[in-house]
Amino acid sequence: MSDNVEFYQLGGLTVILLFIAFYGGTFLVSAYIGKKRENADGYMTAGNKLGFGISAASMTATWIWAASMYASATSGYTYGVSGPLHYGFWGALMILFIYPFGKRIRAVAPKAHTLAEVMHARHGRSSQLMLAGSNIVGSVISLTSNFIAGGALVSLLSPFSFEQGVLGVAAGVLIYTLWSGFRASVLTDFMQVVAMLGAVVIIIPTVFFAAGGTAMFEQGAQNLTPQQLDFFSSDAFLNQGAPYIAAVLAYAIGNQTIAQRLFAVREDLIKKTFVTATVGYGATVIGVGMLGVMALYLGINPAEGDLNNLIPQMASTFLAPVLLGVFFIMILGSLSSTADSDLSALSSIMMADVYGKNLASKKKKPSPKRMLLVGRVTMILATASGLYFASGGMNILDLLVFVGALWGALVFPVIASFYWSKVTNKAFTVSVLAALAVFIPVRFEWFSMGGATGYVFDVLSIVGIGVVLGLMAFGFFGLKPAKIVGLIAALASAPFVLGFLHDYTVLTASLAAYSVSTIVCYLMSVRSQQDFDFDLIKERVGDYDSTPQPVDASATK
Amino acid sequence: MTPILLALYVLVWPLIVAGVLLVICSAFYRDWRQARKEGRRIV
Repeated sequence: MSDNVEFYQLGGLTVILLFIAFYGGTFLVSAYIGKKRENADGYMTAGNKLGFGISAASMTATWIWAASMYASATSGYTYGVSGPLHYGFWGALMILFIYPFGKRIRAVAPKAHTLAEVMHARHGRSSQLMLAGSNIVGSVISLTSNFIAGGALVSLLSPFSFEQGVLGVAAGVLIYTLWSGFRASVLTDFMQVVAMLGAVVIIIPTVFFAAGGTAMFEQGAQNLTPQQLDFFSSDAFLNQGAPYIAAVLAYAIGNQTIAQRLFAVREDLIKKTFVTATVGYGATVIGVGMLGVMALYLGINPAEGDLNNLIPQMASTFLAPVLLGVFFIMILGSLSSTADSDLSALSSIMMADVYGKNLASKKKKPSPKRMLLVGRVTMILATASGLYFASGGMNILDLLVFVGALWGALVFPVIASFYWSKVTNKAFTVSVLAALAVFIPVRFEWFSMGGATGYVFDVLSIVGIGVVLGLMAFGFFGLKPAKIVGLIAALASAPFVLGFLHDYTVLTASLAAYSVSTIVCYLMSVRSQQDFDFDLIKERVGDYDSTPQPVDASATK
Repeated sequence: MTPILLALYVLVWPLIVAGVLLVICSAFYRDWRQARKEGRRIV
């Protein structure tokens, strides 16, 4: 097929009606649950008692964003049949592997609103602000990325421009999230997940049969290289899967949207919620990735050579106009559900971590009314900054990968702080700063990796591999199996890493961040005399708003 | 992989998604009914 593909576009009026139906519907739902006097805790975590249905829907909707759909299809197109698995499977595990830690975090801080707030109770201000700062950067980048995806979708499939698309999405998301915050975000997530998952159920089989069914695989096999045909492709694992394994824990720890849902769901439903979201995210994203695999078999070239055009191109080529509208809603749902979660996450951090713990008077409890104002102003400013960055043409995915790797510096100090009473504020702060001091020069290749330097970083990477896999095992099986898994992983990887891995600077920098933060945090804590009492966290982190939630008489009608 | 296996590989994901959607929708309905019974909003 030609590179200059003409996209079938939806009419301007159709797109306006789809926007009105989608954002108008979500706005009506958020207006239905809106209260004249919102509660500050409800605005941040919906009172810590969400049921399974709504929390599972919200976790799934939040974790699926437009970029994950595009990236999975890109992976399928680039690496062949195993490509979508190496994107979606590891992304799904990010949710699964955090839940055992989540249960522990929730047990020590049942009434928390943000992870950074718990760090404040555990360590103090410097640890809290480091975590809160990294969460803010991550959420602003994610918000911007979703606005950009909205602009790209509108400009590809409608007569409207990229800027008009960005503006439409930003205004739509802000309008329904602003008043009720997290409560609006989770309730609309349910609608959005129904739209998204329902669209995947219809669109993938429709494209499959419209593209020729099994005949596509019989006739198109010659378009694939042996590696692309191989279900156990080493190319796919090394280039796509392995860097993702390193990021599994980092994304979950660094992302306030996950922490917020962790604190919002009823404590006994954490496991059920996270397992359902794991399966829901994995199947959806891998399923959409199959569009990339099919495009590869069909010999389709992405329009203008841009792999991000692949999904809209497949939809435009094989779907009837009505289903193209369904596809439009699917992408709109994926980016809006994540964007509203980012707004809620940012407002919670500003309310609890910046205002509640640092700006409000130390002598009395922060005013819930003022906290709500801080939350709403944050949402407006965050939307404005998302619009500004979205119009700047920045490479957002590169930034996100950078921040994800940066979060690797926080993983061990954060997790250790919830289990090991000896970890001090100084150990936390110094270990994270030391890891960043190593990560940044390696990531930006400020020095040569030739000679002994390369080997030093290979050894650090081996330690990093042991730390990552050890921590994953620790969450599920405890300390002793974790040490064994970590040791075996480090030893088994050593022959493949030594003298080789330092050429892959992104992965090396990320693994070095893990290993340096772990080594420094361990060495500074092991001789510490501190024996922190974890029960203190419950006393230090509680509700801001003591006003009981009013009973809603209309709900009984 | 044979074309039939590849077809199953492609089509199994929407099937799993449909299963998850069913689980989420039925749980949401139970949450909503429970909230109604207790005279409160679902969130």
